[in-house]
Amino acid sequence: MDLELLRKTAAEVAARDDVKYLLGWKQGTYGYRVAPAFVEDAAGAAELIFSPLCTANLATYLTLVEQLPVPRGEEPDNRKVALMVKGCDSRAVTQLLVEKGIERDEVVVIGCPCPGVVDSALLAEKYPETEEPAEMKWDGEDFLLTRNGEETKIPRDELLAEKCRLCRYPNPVVSDEMLGDPVETWEPGEDKGVEEVEARDVDSRWEYWMEEFDKCVRCYSCRNVCPLCYCQDCILDRLNPTWVNRSVNFSENTAFNIARAFHLAGRCIECGECERVCPANIPLGKINRKLARDVRDKYGFEPGVDPEAEPFQASYKPDDPEDFIL
Amino acid sequence: MSANYEPNIVAFLCNWCSYAGADLAGTSRVSYPANIQIIRVMCSGRVNPLYVMNALQQGADGVLVSGCHPGDCHYMEGNYYARRRLGMLKDLMEFVGVDPKRFHMSWVSASEGHKWKEVVEKTVEDAKEAGPFEGFRRRQIDW
Repeated sequence: MDLELLRKTAAEVAARDDVKYLLGWKQGTYGYRVAPAFVEDAAGAAELIFSPLCTANLATYLTLVEQLPVPRGEEPDNRKVALMVKGCDSRAVTQLLVEKGIERDEVVVIGCPCPGVVDSALLAEKYPETEEPAEMKWDGEDFLLTRNGEETKIPRDELLAEKCRLCRYPNPVVSDEMLGDPVETWEPGEDKGVEEVEARDVDSRWEYWMEEFDKCVRCYSCRNVCPLCYCQDCILDRLNPTWVNRSVNFSENTAFNIARAFHLAGRCIECGECERVCPANIPLGKINRKLARDVRDKYGFEPGVDPEAEPFQASYKPDDPEDFIL
Repeated sequence: MSANYEPNIVAFLCNWCSYAGADLAGTSRVSYPANIQIIRVMCSGRVNPLYVMNALQQGADGVLVSGCHPGDCHYMEGNYYARRRLGMLKDLMEFVGVDPKRFHMSWVSASEGHKWKEVVEKTVEDAKEAGPFEGFRRRQIDW
């Protein structure tokens, strides 16, 4: 990734009259942290980076921003939001377009072809975090890590995030400006995590998930970080009727996790953010990927690819599979 | 599980076909297991997947959703949506480890009193095999 080109393009876009701000990634304050940057001018654009550490899906911020009521006599600010996206993030944008969560003329999408990001938990485990901000680069087939002034070459397979190993869309599917040439796609490979759970029998699957869901502290980070969980009136916050009770116990945790996963069936674009932010390390990605795969295989539907598509759960085909019906 | 264990089953029936079908089974004096608690909904497409989860949490050992045959829906397409959604729910529950025998879906029309009997018998039989679903209870509820 050519940082010069990125910063130049970002500065140009941020300077446009019809753009409110540009969302990108910048160096965090310590270690491997990467912070989201809200860029409004050229000075901000000079801080932007794009590296294997830029795991965050910025599409979340499109719907997360609070919509305050406009004071009387003032015009609403209808300027666009510019957004830097990786391949997976661009699918989130597309899915938001499909669901009319955003309109196409409300965003400027700057596509960053992405050769795959790191698994931040794995990285911190293998190469302990430093107080000094560390840098990382793509270097051919490897990652090049610079921390405390020394460079380490790490093979790509060692640290590549699971979602990237299985990625089928490393290049943005929607973009107004593309930074650099598209990267070569790679063979997604077997989804071992899901297959391993599927190979068990029903009772042992229940045991497995019982153990995982028992850890859930119901912080709802997975919901908050998800670019596609943007209902203003979420069932999890509702008390009347109480769809999902708030008590933290196995029964409610399971109901919550099933509800969360179900609400993303046919919508999840597999950016893996829920799993990354989970403080209890629940493998939420497994459930999402399993559902996404079922939707793909059984219903021939893939979310976040075609902006003209009908939403999965709000459409049907007369010949949908019905082998489960008595 | 005792030998004479009787499962609790919640059935969501659509007003126009399955509820009338169950009614027909009654007026025709067809006898079927009494483990079913029927909840009438206007359309099978109205059944939120969370209803199913809530039923299981609140003491049901099995859930049945029944609607009109595809193409016969009173609202033209409600059962098509239900089929897609609840099919996904069944896959998801199976993946999480809920026995697929606990959740069934069927098409029963208003004239199929006998099919209703078969569906109920199959559902009850499967729920008996799966046993009480204690692991998922919200709290102890006496039915």
